[in-house]
Amino acid sequence: MAFVASYETFEGPLDLMLHLIKENKLDIFDLDMSVLCDEYLAYLDKMDELHLEVESEYLVELSTLIEYKSKKLLPKREAELIDDYQEDPKDALVRRLLEYQRFKEVTQELVVPYMERSRQLSKAMSDTKELERDDEDEIFYDGNVSDLYKAMNRVLRRLKLAMPIETRYTQKEVSIDDRLLVIRARLKDLDDIFSLEVLADDCKTIEEAVVTFLAVLDLIKDGVLDLAIKDEDKIYLKRRER
Amino acid sequence: MIEEYALGHEMDAKERYLFENTPSKVKKVPKITGSKPPKDQEAIIEGLLYIVGEDGLRIEQLAMALDISYEEAKKSLERLAMRYAKGDHGIELVDYGGHYKFLTKIDIHPYAQRLLDIAKTSTLSQSALETLAIIAYKQPITRVEIEDLRGVGSDMMLRKLQARNLIREAGRSEAPGRPILYEVTEEFMDSFKLASLSDLPELPEYSSDEESEDLFQR
Repeated sequence: MAFVASYETFEGPLDLMLHLIKENKLDIFDLDMSVLCDEYLAYLDKMDELHLEVESEYLVELSTLIEYKSKKLLPKREAELIDDYQEDPKDALVRRLLEYQRFKEVTQELVVPYMERSRQLSKAMSDTKELERDDEDEIFYDGNVSDLYKAMNRVLRRLKLAMPIETRYTQKEVSIDDRLLVIRARLKDLDDIFSLEVLADDCKTIEEAVVTFLAVLDLIKDGVLDLAIKDEDKIYLKRRER
Repeated sequence: MIEEYALGHEMDAKERYLFENTPSKVKKVPKITGSKPPKDQEAIIEGLLYIVGEDGLRIEQLAMALDISYEEAKKSLERLAMRYAKGDHGIELVDYGGHYKFLTKIDIHPYAQRLLDIAKTSTLSQSALETLAIIAYKQPITRVEIEDLRGVGSDMMLRKLQARNLIREAGRSEAPGRPILYEVTEEFMDSFKLASLSDLPELPEYSSDEESEDLFQR
């Protein structure tokens, strides 16, 4: 039988086998493993000819098919039958094919509501933040990520200026948690509103400045501090109540 | 605080539990002056549903906000849903995964497309659908079990579905190696228009020879 090249894509070896069974009008409940094996191999060969990549999963199943076929060719020794019983690989394969078929079928039913739902739109939840906010502090307004980036650069520039050329090879690791403790302790002595530079003024290395920055992000996340950016690149922080 | 909420209404155990375990956003109900149950209940529900939008409302949340019983809230929601289904409305009230929410009706979509220049809607590949179906019917299920069923590696697919918030991890199996178990999310229920998993279509059954005839009809 001439092999007709199919452009259908298969979801995997089981999908391919179901296709071959249908194509060759095989009875899945009385599966002719020999025909299936030949057709399967022919298909993989064809894919190879077309320079399509044959995924390893297909080869695994192929080996199962070939093993089954080759065993059938060998004369059976009776002792083997008595020895520990295993599910017939053919039955096992048919069971897997049927189980796979069930899910393949049901996806055709599931896709309908999915397509419908994707045509139905909803609104986002109302933003109640606007109502809750108090506008006492005029300098506070939303900045964006690039503002933060610029502000951090400013801190780093100052750090560079404050730090003359120095060569050291010792490295001290400061964890964010440690830094958080220091900052939390220092917060008590600071004004309600202060700049990021003030917090970073005791940093001697870039690592320390970065850790300070991360610690501040943590505090903002935890609701201890509020953030504002002024003049494009100055970060102000405000202690929150509560 | 409880007195403030209850207005002399005696909470039963379930209500009290829900009251004490619901995020503060819902809990901070201002005193509702006037008799209970509130008049124009459905109008209030309609307004609240409008506010919560795509997040939707659970029946318990609604019962809390209106200071009415679970059953009553449920009935009101269903009545409202009926009204939207019947009347000349462009939106409908749906219950997907226990979240009641307003959605535009399907008929609106072509016009929305024209108005808003909406590109093609998101689709799921056949392999994504297969994987989702397996998880939905068999959950909680491990990756290996999914791969056995599909006959292909599913690691990437699971990660993709997790990224789309259609599935999530649901603890670990007691099997050797304690593999991660997966289950579908509320987002899945929403995407497939399911109130609960029992609304899934029945899996076709192929077991006897009689059925082998129509097995490959499609």
